Amino acid sequence: MSEVNIDNVKAGFEKDILTVKDLRQIEDIRIKYLSRNGLLAKLFDELKNASPDEKPMLGKSLNSLRNEITEKFVSLKSGIESASQKLASKIDLSLPGVERTIGSKHLLTQTLDEIKTIFKGLGFSVFEGPELESDYNNFEALNFPFDHPARDMQDTYFINKDFLLRTHTSPVQIRVMTEQKPPVRVIMPGRVYRNEAVSSRSYCMFHQVEGLYVDTDVTFAELKGTLVSFARLFYGDDFKYRFRPSFFPFTEPSAEMDITCFLCHGEGCKVCKQTGWLEILGCGMVDPNVFKYVNYDPEKYTGYAFGMGIERTAMLKYGIDDIRVFFDNDLRFLKQF
Amino acid sequence: MKVSLNWLKDYVDLKNIKTKDIVEQLTMSGLEVEEFTDENEVYKDFIIGFVKEKNKHPNADKLSVCTVSTGKEELQVICGAPNVEAGQKVVFAPIGSVIPKGNFKIGKAKIRGVESSGMICSEDELELSDDHTGIMVLDKDLTAGQSITGALLLNDVIMEIAITPNRSDALSHLGVARDLAAMFNAELNLPAINLSESSKKIKDFASIEVKDTENCPRYSAKVVLNVEVKESPEWLKKKLTKIGLRPINNIVDVTNFVMYETGQPLHAFDLDNLGGNKIIVKSTEEVSSFTTLDSKERKLQPGTLMICDGEKPVAVAGVMGGENSEITNSTKNILIESAHFNPSSIRRTARSLGLSTEASYRFERWVDPNGTLYSAERAAQLIAELSGGIIASGSIDVYPDTVKQKEVPLRFARVKKLLGYEIPDEKMVEILKRLGLQVIFESDKEIRFSVPTFRPDLEREVDLIEEIARIYGYNNIPTISKISISLGGRIDHSEFADRIRQYATGLGFYEMINNPLQSEKAAGLIGEKIALLNPQSLDMAYLRTSLIPGALLTVAKNINAGEKNVALFEIGNVFNSRAGSSEIRSFEDFTENQNLIFLLTGKKTEKTWLSDEKFVDFYDLKGAINSILFKISLDNVLNDSYYHGENTIFDFSFDKKVENTVVGSGGKIKKEVLKQFDIQQDVYCFEFNLDSLKSIKTAAKKYAEPLKFPKSIRDFAFVFDKEVEYGEVQRFIKKSGYGLLKEVSLFDLFESEALGENKKSMAFTLEYYSPDRTLTEEEVEKDFLNLIEAVSKKFNAKLRGK
Repeated sequence: MSEVNIDNVKAGFEKDILTVKDLRQIEDIRIKYLSRNGLLAKLFDELKNASPDEKPMLGKSLNSLRNEITEKFVSLKSGIESASQKLASKIDLSLPGVERTIGSKHLLTQTLDEIKTIFKGLGFSVFEGPELESDYNNFEALNFPFDHPARDMQDTYFINKDFLLRTHTSPVQIRVMTEQKPPVRVIMPGRVYRNEAVSSRSYCMFHQVEGLYVDTDVTFAELKGTLVSFARLFYGDDFKYRFRPSFFPFTEPSAEMDITCFLCHGEGCKVCKQTGWLEILGCGMVDPNVFKYVNYDPEKYTGYAFGMGIERTAMLKYGIDDIRVFFDNDLRFLKQF
Repeated sequence: MKVSLNWLKDYVDLKNIKTKDIVEQLTMSGLEVEEFTDENEVYKDFIIGFVKEKNKHPNADKLSVCTVSTGKEELQVICGAPNVEAGQKVVFAPIGSVIPKGNFKIGKAKIRGVESSGMICSEDELELSDDHTGIMVLDKDLTAGQSITGALLLNDVIMEIAITPNRSDALSHLGVARDLAAMFNAELNLPAINLSESSKKIKDFASIEVKDTENCPRYSAKVVLNVEVKESPEWLKKKLTKIGLRPINNIVDVTNFVMYETGQPLHAFDLDNLGGNKIIVKSTEEVSSFTTLDSKERKLQPGTLMICDGEKPVAVAGVMGGENSEITNSTKNILIESAHFNPSSIRRTARSLGLSTEASYRFERWVDPNGTLYSAERAAQLIAELSGGIIASGSIDVYPDTVKQKEVPLRFARVKKLLGYEIPDEKMVEILKRLGLQVIFESDKEIRFSVPTFRPDLEREVDLIEEIARIYGYNNIPTISKISISLGGRIDHSEFADRIRQYATGLGFYEMINNPLQSEKAAGLIGEKIALLNPQSLDMAYLRTSLIPGALLTVAKNINAGEKNVALFEIGNVFNSRAGSSEIRSFEDFTENQNLIFLLTGKKTEKTWLSDEKFVDFYDLKGAINSILFKISLDNVLNDSYYHGENTIFDFSFDKKVENTVVGSGGKIKKEVLKQFDIQQDVYCFEFNLDSLKSIKTAAKKYAEPLKFPKSIRDFAFVFDKEVEYGEVQRFIKKSGYGLLKEVSLFDLFESEALGENKKSMAFTLEYYSPDRTLTEEEVEKDFLNLIEAVSKKFNAKLRGK
């Protein structure tokens, strides 16, 4: 440690700053001289080893060198910064940016998500069940007797006489009720299969959401209230609704819910087949026979169930007129949503 | 089912009720009117026209220029029909009227240079029949100018009603009328039977023996003698054509009419063609063949219920009659069959023959066993009236076990409990009575009804509640605005998959949903496929065993459509039969798993002004997978195994394992596989068993404080033999370094001639740090130097650059 070292560092610094042109070089200078491992720090380190009589002198020189370097560095840095800002104002900001891709969930998943969010908000759990089902769960326990014309309502793909591809999500009702005691409040989304010719209106598989609520005082009036509330949240406020009697073997009474067509507002158009109404779901009070199959006391408990098709719902909502587009997985479709 | 409103009005008084209200009420009570045609509306502008003159069109051979009088004025009308003549009364469509067929409006037109003000119509154009051979020529006595709705009785409302499978009783006009009577609280009027029977006794002309009473619980018959088979009168033909039936002759038309009136299918046999004048009802014992009256030979399975005469089968019971006993123009004596067959038996037969008729449709849904005789008598009476025949006195009625009316109780309180709404007791009773139920016992709390046998669907209290609700009107039940929610656990089976979806989309993947039904070839690529018993086509005959084939089909389609850069994922179920299970008898014989696939192909970056084009590769796939696993906290739980080629699907691949169980695998798809799908570009994919992933227990995440002390960073590069794998070196360094060596990563990799043959350089960055102090240079340097020596020695590697 000596004055010579100090002078060398000073000289080196003076020389180095002559060539500095950009912020990166400024950073190099900072690291070389001012950082924790920089030359100044080293000099201060060495100062510890200096003899006591040299120390005050060298210390003073060193401090003044540090002040000088720091000052020069700061002014040099701000000069370069403002110059580079001026330069920056001249770059072509109209050039395209670099985009990042966010993928997307399938439109059917998005539609189901909306439905799930609403029902979860109403206190429903979400259950799933298998697609390859037993005839028992899919039909028998849901009060479709063997050889009954009610089975004609659902064209079925069979694996053999006892196993099939489920034709609706209703067998999950049986699974849930077999597993749990009331109260049961659950929606059951899933894929179902129908042995129907593929066309713009029907496909060999589609998706449903089933709902089930069983407790001691569940009523048809509550079913109506829940479903109307759902429809308002999902479709908005601008519609009238109606419940009309229908038939499902596993509910009694059974109903279908229609809302006024949102294309023609009830005037009648192609989409609603001139009726002014769109059927959005099927529902009803759980048939006591179903309760018997799952060992619930039909005197004590009542319940409601409902089911809706997700494709149909999405088609209505997004104006899709061919169900097959959902399963073509054309990226030009997938990327739209 | 097509239903005529005028016909319904024969049985129930609907005067003063608007058509619109009738249609609406039917739908709102469960008999959904899918479509309806109000003739009064459709034909309101059409009038009777008188063709005063007919001249040839100056510019067209086949056209005539007619002068049509409408009573008020005379108009020039061009007509192309060959049968138009002066002096005819015709249906005239004035300007402004809308032709039903094609729904087009008549305007003033010039046809080949000659003006035409209206149109003379054919039956086809008015949708009255398919006849388009010429215009309708009407009765000369009709008055020109009169509306055709009155003149031609085109004043009906034809409704298409969807009848649900539980409502067999509504498959007839009387059945629908009964519901209307209940809705509008009106009387239902059954047609009265007034038989003028001859002195000849039925027993002397026919006998009936039912051998299979289980499948034929009741068989009733009437005999009509000396009939004259001829065209039916206008009223009958009109009734049938309005609901879309083709009139045949007075006998067949009556049987059809009565079926659509009461719901009871009838069959008329030519009595003289019944061997031994005998009917025997029995089931077949072996495979046989039979020619039905549509002249088709049918193969009958054993157990098919047949109507036979003394010698041979004459009809497939409840489905279709035989050619050998059908009514012909020379038929003189007939036997009318009116039976109740076991619904399952008819259903089995109809299915096995692939033949569904109006009769079988009704029988398999239940026909009232206590209504057979009424319908037989009704038909006999009409046939006698229309054919000049005489009715043999009495009937033959084989009915060993009478089907009794069921008794069903109704507790008023239960109605409220189920519907959440109080309906006045008297209203409930009134509704059920209108539907044909009878009160047999009554108290304050409960009332017992007997249910007519035409309503097999009403067996329990809840069935009666539904009847009350639907006739009372679902819309009259309040829609409450408050619900009770049970407190307790909430479960969401779909939560895990939904999280994966979220992360996958964040990484730029698009979700696809592929058809799980596949061709044998696609489903045969991997796993143990399961076949469908009744596939629709060969393309959809098996269940998918893996998500890979479906994903490749989607990739191929997209490439064809010009979308060559693809990042896709799917979550879906796959099905495999279990080893050793030749047949699926239980849930143990197969697996159904929710799987997850990621797929990459094409470019990851396009050539732009800032970047060069880059194609995806194995490491993009691997990186994406690891990013997802990190988000679901499985990055440190799963370990990798790598393979080169020992696989039918992948050129090279890797597995993700938890302990020794594989939970996912993927890699670069083999060219040969891609070729099967017509894909020419490299495809990388990875498939997880999502159920397995989901079942792995992970510790709950805990907060780790960000590092407060500086890291010490060291780099080194070695020349290795080419076969030395990164993973091995990385693990070795990590393991050999002291405890504060936290991260080891690769920052450079290359081969060059300068390095020598079969050599490569790998350069590593080492990060040392401690959460609770600054490390000293000495300790880091010491460990670093040790590592240099250890790596050199272990891998016979040479340190570079020093």
